[in-house]
Amino acid sequence: MSSSSALCSATFVDPGYDHLVELVHQRDRAAHRRLEALELELYEPGGASLGRMAVDTRQETLDLAALVAARAPGVARVMVTFDARYDSRVFPYRPHHYAYLKLRDSPDAPLYYAVNATLGGVPERIEAVTRQNNFETYLFLSRPAGERYGLRLGNLARFSPVEAQVITFHGEARAVVPVTLAPHQHADVELPLEREGARLRRVELKTLFRLASYVTGRRADSGGLVLFDHLFTYFK
Amino acid sequence: MFGALRSAARHFLGVTRTSTYYLPWITRPGLRCVLLLNNVESRFTTARAGGPFPAAVVQYDARGTIVARYDAAVPTATEPLELPLDAVAEGHGFVTVDVARLQSDLYVTLGDGDAYTATHGRHEFVETYPPWTRALHAALGAAADLAGMTLPAFVRHQYVYVGAHDRSHVLLLNLSNVTNRIRTTAVAGGATTGRRLDAIAPRGAALLDVASLAPAGSAARVLHLRFTGNAWFNLYLVGAGPKDLAGPLSLMHVK
Repeated sequence: MSSSSALCSATFVDPGYDHLVELVHQRDRAAHRRLEALELELYEPGGASLGRMAVDTRQETLDLAALVAARAPGVARVMVTFDARYDSRVFPYRPHHYAYLKLRDSPDAPLYYAVNATLGGVPERIEAVTRQNNFETYLFLSRPAGERYGLRLGNLARFSPVEAQVITFHGEARAVVPVTLAPHQHADVELPLEREGARLRRVELKTLFRLASYVTGRRADSGGLVLFDHLFTYFK
Repeated sequence: MFGALRSAARHFLGVTRTSTYYLPWITRPGLRCVLLLNNVESRFTTARAGGPFPAAVVQYDARGTIVARYDAAVPTATEPLELPLDAVAEGHGFVTVDVARLQSDLYVTLGDGDAYTATHGRHEFVETYPPWTRALHAALGAAADLAGMTLPAFVRHQYVYVGAHDRSHVLLLNLSNVTNRIRTTAVAGGATTGRRLDAIAPRGAALLDVASLAPAGSAARVLHLRFTGNAWFNLYLVGAGPKDLAGPLSLMHVK
């Protein structure tokens, strides 16, 4: 997963959503030729594998919701890794998978997001060599009251558990939530909307190595996702 | 090789590129667009004790007209500034932010009072063409327009999604000071399903309705679009639900 011509990305699949993943972001013939192989692996929250499968790289988009429904029915949250191998001519362009996410029968807008590139790729472009990519932050608006926030974290390491710190800032109040994840384990960490009367304004994530990480925002009434976004590294 | 040619062409045409941070904006009745300006990524640098940090914002509408200027300032490295874009009740376009004193990605949010969606801007550039090049663009562009074509200076590819209850529109941003004629070709299942040509004013924008490119009555869920423009441009996706542009929207950057 860590060779210079490979990229391992990860996302999470919830039941009830349309979830379409673009195998190559650029839709041109050369981009398709340069994606040489793609293997997916599914993990339940405890980290156990639910199966590994090769994907036909001639496909442009993958119906991830259908695939997970078939392979892991009834699992509330599945982490899916995308182990992609590229012809090295693709570099220095940094490949991505993007995805379209829509809660079925919901009045909300669909979301479109970059699948979290976690391991490999172009090392300096994912800030894995000269920069720290395991210290991230995200900001929140102060006003909306009908939204609930969280961090969705997954450990892509094969052998090493990780102890992460999720740090919330409510005004001047700082709180640390430790999170321990075994290999391939994943978790939803709830971020309290208020603390001591102050609103959640910022979150930080500190880990020893990069995790698959997304900020989530959900409508309080329906639970539908309205935010599914990557965090930002501090050091660029 | 291709990059060198492009660079030589820019030099020949007298095109200058100015480093610019920009974000898209959309306003609609019931939809609040707020910028979240911050300098939090500077908090481990010498800037952490500074502030306020000036962050002048210029808001361009779809016609490229400046509809508002905001003398914004981020209070401190850890205290963001929320800046509502309320100068226009209904419209779209982009804003530029002076980030000379900022060292962070900036966010744009679309909210309905209960919840909001968010994405971030891009630190890229805008292109400025000198008068003679603008005249050349105008003449050649008009001629190409008659044939439904454009001068193919820049090409982008993007998937979009269309369904009975949801779709992703495209917000095209003209990041140059010439009229940008952007030709869009849509393909689904190997067949071309639609073409259109949009002339976007300098520093203007166009909200491209994906339904105009989908084949009527088709079950196609994914369209791949190929955009060709005569000047620099970029795009954001605009997610829309069952009420289309009258309902909640999301904005999303692309690579």
